[in-house]
Amino acid sequence: MIRVEKLFYRYDAGEPDCLQDISLDIEERLHTALIGPNGCGKTTLIKHLNALLFPSAGSVCVDGMMTTDAASVREIRRRVGMVFQNPDSQIIGMTVEEDVAFGPGNLALPSEEIGRRVAECLAMVGMAGFEKRAPHTLSGGEKRLLSIAGVLAMNPRYIAFDEPTAYLDPVGKQRVLEIIRRLNREGMAIIHIAHDRRDIAEADRVVVMDRGRILLTGAPEEVFEKTDRLRDAGHDGFPQKAAS
Amino acid sequence: MIILGQYLPGDTLLHRLDPRVKILSVVALSILIFGATTGEVVLISAFLFAAIRTAAMTPAQAFRALKPVAVFMAMIFFVHLLFTEGELLVSLAPLPMRITREGILRGIYVTWQFAGLVLAAAVLTRTTSPSDLVGGIERLLRPFSRVGVPSQDIAVMIAMALRFMPMLLEEYDRLRTAQMARGADFTTGNLALRGRAIAALAVPLLFSSFRRADELAVAMEARGYRRGPRTTLRELRFSGTDLHAFTVMALFVLVNFAWKAAMG
Repeated sequence: MIRVEKLFYRYDAGEPDCLQDISLDIEERLHTALIGPNGCGKTTLIKHLNALLFPSAGSVCVDGMMTTDAASVREIRRRVGMVFQNPDSQIIGMTVEEDVAFGPGNLALPSEEIGRRVAECLAMVGMAGFEKRAPHTLSGGEKRLLSIAGVLAMNPRYIAFDEPTAYLDPVGKQRVLEIIRRLNREGMAIIHIAHDRRDIAEADRVVVMDRGRILLTGAPEEVFEKTDRLRDAGHDGFPQKAAS
Repeated sequence: MIILGQYLPGDTLLHRLDPRVKILSVVALSILIFGATTGEVVLISAFLFAAIRTAAMTPAQAFRALKPVAVFMAMIFFVHLLFTEGELLVSLAPLPMRITREGILRGIYVTWQFAGLVLAAAVLTRTTSPSDLVGGIERLLRPFSRVGVPSQDIAVMIAMALRFMPMLLEEYDRLRTAQMARGADFTTGNLALRGRAIAALAVPLLFSSFRRADELAVAMEARGYRRGPRTTLRELRFSGTDLHAFTVMALFVLVNFAWKAAMG
């Protein structure tokens, strides 16, 4: 479990807190969705989950390890995978297979094991056969799938997806959502930032953020019912009702 | 992408060789080329020719490798042709130039040296994938990591540069189009105006590169990158063929030195 307790965060001293008093438990095996207007701190929050950012106050604890404990950082980053919004700035390898091998290489695994994981993870996202391709020859959707494979190769327990369907065409979206569903079925805990409520209809829990705070949490239907009321009351930035 | 574009997958002897052997061979050849005397010019040319054949490069492809540097080669040829002292053949007075016998020979020699270097490098990049090239460089530098050369960081840096060059070009294109859509003109006007229009692209390009570098550093950290031991998908293995190739190269170097010694 990832336990976030009374987390405050500000990027620079003197600026207002961009996360305020966040307390949240992210359970293993569950699909947790994170929604809220742009700039409300969703990305900042998930960067705390794998020790890319550290709380100004409060704490983040991953399976019993504090993110502020330097000795645990490596293991925390292995357990909590992070799929960022822009695949272009997270693909590192010169070829598809080398990019997937980057994470396991950082774990100093033997080459045979890396090779096994590369094949397995590329097959998992449906990119087998792309091994030798250079990343800049891939389509946007393929880059997204590659960035997911690269995270899977670390063998994480939790994966945080930051708007994984952004910039994708409908087919690409469905492929990514299907992968997320499958991972979740197989026991992976998912943290999922989204704007389209259809993307997170199957979430176990929806967390709504606004201006650095958690506004409400609950099952998708009850949360959406409340956000609909909020929007009707003039509050912007919440996912639209499904187009009817 | 000069380096990326040249690699062509294949199954020639040179493709199969360990990149370390190939890199060292190019280094050795370069040294030989720089110190070559007339007899060695023939030997080295024959060796290069054999290497090009072994790499299954057609003459047309070899010429294509030389094409981007053709202007430069012509320049160094003419500089040596026109400004070398020696036995006068044609006087170009009142210009302060003359064509001498030594000038012709010198011009041919220096142009040959340059072409030889380019061709040796072309054979290397044609038969070695960028990843293998970077892996080979890393492995060759690894012994120096004891004296503080960060061989792994260097390898990662080269790999990144290769990875991001096409992206930078794309970004440049995007910015250019965006500015053209808003009325910027890159194709007409005098040189100064056009220069200024292109310079106006440099700032946003620089900014977006910095932002990307930042994002990238975060992504690398998120995937567990740190200084310290890493492994790669393919560890290099020195095979029997590599040993043979290495021996051939070493013998070739020795023959050249012996020749130089014999000729005094």
